[in-house]
Amino acid sequence: MSRVKRPGRSRRSPVMSFLLHGTLILASLIAIGPIAWVLLSSLKPGYAIQSSELTLFRDTTLANYSYVLTGTNFPRWFLNSVIVAAFTMAIGIFFSATTGYAVSRFNFPGRRPLMMVFLVTQMFPVAILIVPIYTIMARLGLINTMPALIIAYLTIAVPFCAWMLKGYFDSIPTSLDEAAALDGCGPFATFWKVVLPLAKPAVAVTAFYTFLTAWGEVAYASAFIQTDNRFTLAYGLQQFVPQFNPQWEYLTAAAVLVTLPAGLVFFFAQKHLVSGLTAGGTKG
Amino acid sequence: MRRTARGIAVLASATLALSVAACGGEDKAAEEQPKADPASLTAELTWWDTSDPQNEGPAFQELIAKFNQTYPNVKINYQSVPFGEAQNKFKTAAQAKTGAPDILRAEVAWVPEFASLGYLYALDGSELLSDESDFLETPLASNKYDGKTYGVPQVTDSLALMYNKELLTKAGVSAPPKTWAELKTVSQAVKEKTGAEGVYLNPAGYFLLPFMYGEGGDLVDTGAKKIVINSEQNAAGLKVAKDLIDSGAAAKPSANDSYGTMMTLFKEKKVAMIINGPWEVNNVKSAPTFGGLENLGIAPVPAGSARAGGPVGGHNYTIWSGMPQEKVDAAVAFVKYMSSAESQAFLSEKLGLLPTRKSAYQLDPVKNNAVVAAFQAVNEAAVGRPWIPEAGQFFGPLDQMATEVLIQNKDPKAALDTVARKYKAEVVPGYGL
Amino acid sequence: MTTVTADPAPPSTPPGRSARPSRLRRSWEKHWYAWAMVLPVVIVLAVLIFYPLFRGIWLSFTNLNEANQVAEICTKSITGSEVCKENPNKWEFVGLDNYLRVLTGEVGEFWQWTGVTLIWTFVCVACHFGLGLGLATMLNRPMRLRGLYRVLLVLPWAVPAFVSAFAWKFIFNERFGLANAVLSAVGIDPVSWFADRWTSLFTAIVTNVWLGVPFMMVALLGGMQTIPSELYEAAEIDGASAWQRFRNITLPGLRPVSMTVILLGTIWTFNMFPIIFLVTEGQPAGQSEILVTGAFRAAFEGIRNYSLASTYGVLILSILLVFSVFYRRALRKQGEVW
Repeated sequence: MSRVKRPGRSRRSPVMSFLLHGTLILASLIAIGPIAWVLLSSLKPGYAIQSSELTLFRDTTLANYSYVLTGTNFPRWFLNSVIVAAFTMAIGIFFSATTGYAVSRFNFPGRRPLMMVFLVTQMFPVAILIVPIYTIMARLGLINTMPALIIAYLTIAVPFCAWMLKGYFDSIPTSLDEAAALDGCGPFATFWKVVLPLAKPAVAVTAFYTFLTAWGEVAYASAFIQTDNRFTLAYGLQQFVPQFNPQWEYLTAAAVLVTLPAGLVFFFAQKHLVSGLTAGGTKG
Repeated sequence: MRRTARGIAVLASATLALSVAACGGEDKAAEEQPKADPASLTAELTWWDTSDPQNEGPAFQELIAKFNQTYPNVKINYQSVPFGEAQNKFKTAAQAKTGAPDILRAEVAWVPEFASLGYLYALDGSELLSDESDFLETPLASNKYDGKTYGVPQVTDSLALMYNKELLTKAGVSAPPKTWAELKTVSQAVKEKTGAEGVYLNPAGYFLLPFMYGEGGDLVDTGAKKIVINSEQNAAGLKVAKDLIDSGAAAKPSANDSYGTMMTLFKEKKVAMIINGPWEVNNVKSAPTFGGLENLGIAPVPAGSARAGGPVGGHNYTIWSGMPQEKVDAAVAFVKYMSSAESQAFLSEKLGLLPTRKSAYQLDPVKNNAVVAAFQAVNEAAVGRPWIPEAGQFFGPLDQMATEVLIQNKDPKAALDTVARKYKAEVVPGYGL
Repeated sequence: MTTVTADPAPPSTPPGRSARPSRLRRSWEKHWYAWAMVLPVVIVLAVLIFYPLFRGIWLSFTNLNEANQVAEICTKSITGSEVCKENPNKWEFVGLDNYLRVLTGEVGEFWQWTGVTLIWTFVCVACHFGLGLGLATMLNRPMRLRGLYRVLLVLPWAVPAFVSAFAWKFIFNERFGLANAVLSAVGIDPVSWFADRWTSLFTAIVTNVWLGVPFMMVALLGGMQTIPSELYEAAEIDGASAWQRFRNITLPGLRPVSMTVILLGTIWTFNMFPIIFLVTEGQPAGQSEILVTGAFRAAFEGIRNYSLASTYGVLILSILLVFSVFYRRALRKQGEVW
């Protein structure tokens, strides 16, 4: 297969180009507007954030950042979040890829109900499930541990990722599998060596999804985690904004510090958002 | 049983020694008896503190450090838990019998609820209640359920009228208003002469209680098992509040984030008077625009036609019933220390919190604290709430009613009737209407 | 042949029907690897979701709550004794009582909440999908700064949702917010956003759309990679316009992915708790409450009412099940099977 030049820049008229970039710039502005507010607020002292005067800058300071980084357990929370998110991502992708592949390729009994079952798991509201899940986790001795969070996040991430990957695997021609089988690959090897590399864009999407699910989740974390040194970032951040007397300045500073790595992860993930099919799975 | 009894004896002498040392600052030689050696008490305790982590938390941690000077082998794992989530978090953990803290700082309304569910140790017969009569009656009452006592009061509070002295002076008002009618006049004067708003009412159930109490109303009558929320008195109280807003004397409140709006306006001197509690004193004090404590006036809430009074609030120390029996001695020692008159005086001095012991009010740091003195008058007028397990559910419907009446112009009586029906259907089905 | 965890899956009866051993065995030999691939997931879901879910269904036919769930309530005394009293009103089976109470409006505002939930879900998902598709189409073309646009547009997803919720709440603050400042600047009266149920719901929808578009965009962008570029090339040679290519190649090519994201997006949005809970807080007076937040407030404030919570849970589940069955049927008419 040769690289194909897509219809694109070369043929675009200046007007179209202007419209395209104009729209994207506008959309980007809307996307970063509230984040810009968070960023600007993080540079203000607390009293200047909710105020009857709207200002971009007021008494600019980096004190909030230094407090968050040195005065709280933030670095520890960061580490915890990285661990939880990384494990959720790795385990989640592995399980959803195998599941998605099995459902896409093999017509085994229980296949269609399984997909429906995945949907049903997403239908019962989490808020109502938390108490019974806590009891189960307590019986397993997992309260206040990271595995509790990883397992809970997997229940959110895997059903979606399996659906997503199944859809993607469906679009990969089965002739590839058959060719691999003729070469003597078993079903697992075919999956691992032939199909998965081709599915890179979908894996990138699901990877990013699982990562962010674990990165930003609060409800389970607030139920299962009880000591400061086990907090994840998102839950740790919530400590800054109690019902009375919220510390907006620390919340916003911490939020900026939380968003940056997530943005970085995406920047690298998005490079894989290119077709693995046409380039035979070799394209970077 | 014998072990426990001995433990209590040890404790008794230990705390005695401690209080002597703390009062006079005499040398530690007071702790002579070898039996009383607090160092022999070894345990690890978890404490969930629901106080404000920024303003209040550090003072409590200081107090723990002091406690550890006397009890070096009792390790306190201090964990700050946001007030808003602590109740659910504690119940989830206590129900699963795993992961709840040994000691919890519980809001007054939580104690009867937790106690009715069997989540707390009854403290009767322990060292903690040996001087029960020293506690102020109203705060202590919130710890009683079914004839037993399940907590020790940590701090008490009530709503007060907080005002900006400078703005009131500018408006030509020398003393804070004593009735809602006076408040209306003062408010209008402030508006005319200073350009600031007169008063900001937070449209939430708890904050409207002073209006209802003012006319002699209440939520339920626990003695007669009767829902009285939709009484004429309450409707009259709400009309007073509604009239303040409709007449323009009070600022138009927002339906959402009105509490934050109220505080921001007050701190920026954009509104002269608010109804709020002592927990905000530090916040107001530290706002650079307000002008410090000198500019903050505190007075009892204005009176209605019947009386003046705000709801009693506050927090108690409670011990989780899932805590193993062998930790009891240490837990009692800790709570005893934290709720002693000296500790309360320390917190009072540091944070302006209101002690719950009569004896604490005799100590200098409390006596000389202007904020505490101001709130003491407030607290004497405070009205006890119905201390029943269901009390936590009263405020959801009440908050809705507040928005309906103050923002959406619904008729007070009709809105209160709806609340009464909800109480009957969902909160206290055993009560009469 | 390294990869899979595959301790061979236990020969559990296949979810079909019990069959004669030989058939079972044939089935096992043929499908064991497929089952091995899905087994771990099934176990985790069964323990963590299905056990509570079935228990929830059972609970919805009882009157179990926090106060009556145990047969006896024990009070431990600090002095070492423990008194246990029989619970005077132990929980009992009540049949359909909970459903009757909820559906007749004796408890809560089921119909109002459902109405709001439907509007909320429909508007949010439509905006998510429409905007996400548009942006993904644009970002799929080669152009300058594509990587930058992609990162900027995905940032809303990277901020923890509750922080964004607070940010939007600030923007819509009636006195201090940017939204009203802008309106005043152009000469429009400031709006009391949260005093009216529709403007209040509007703020939550704006927040949620802002939050959700990046996910749709990324998912669809991933989906677009499955479309062979030969198709576009051929279409171009045939002289198809950009719109024709979009209609006839992109949209059909995206079907498997868009079906998934719309289906799951609907389910998630339906149960989207934090946005309503934090941004509008149900204001004014509970009128912008959706089913999950309403159920949460009804059942988890004060003494927790587990049976009531489960009743709402089952009702939500039923609504979503009905939806997915219809959705599936509609798709099947167009030749899609799953």
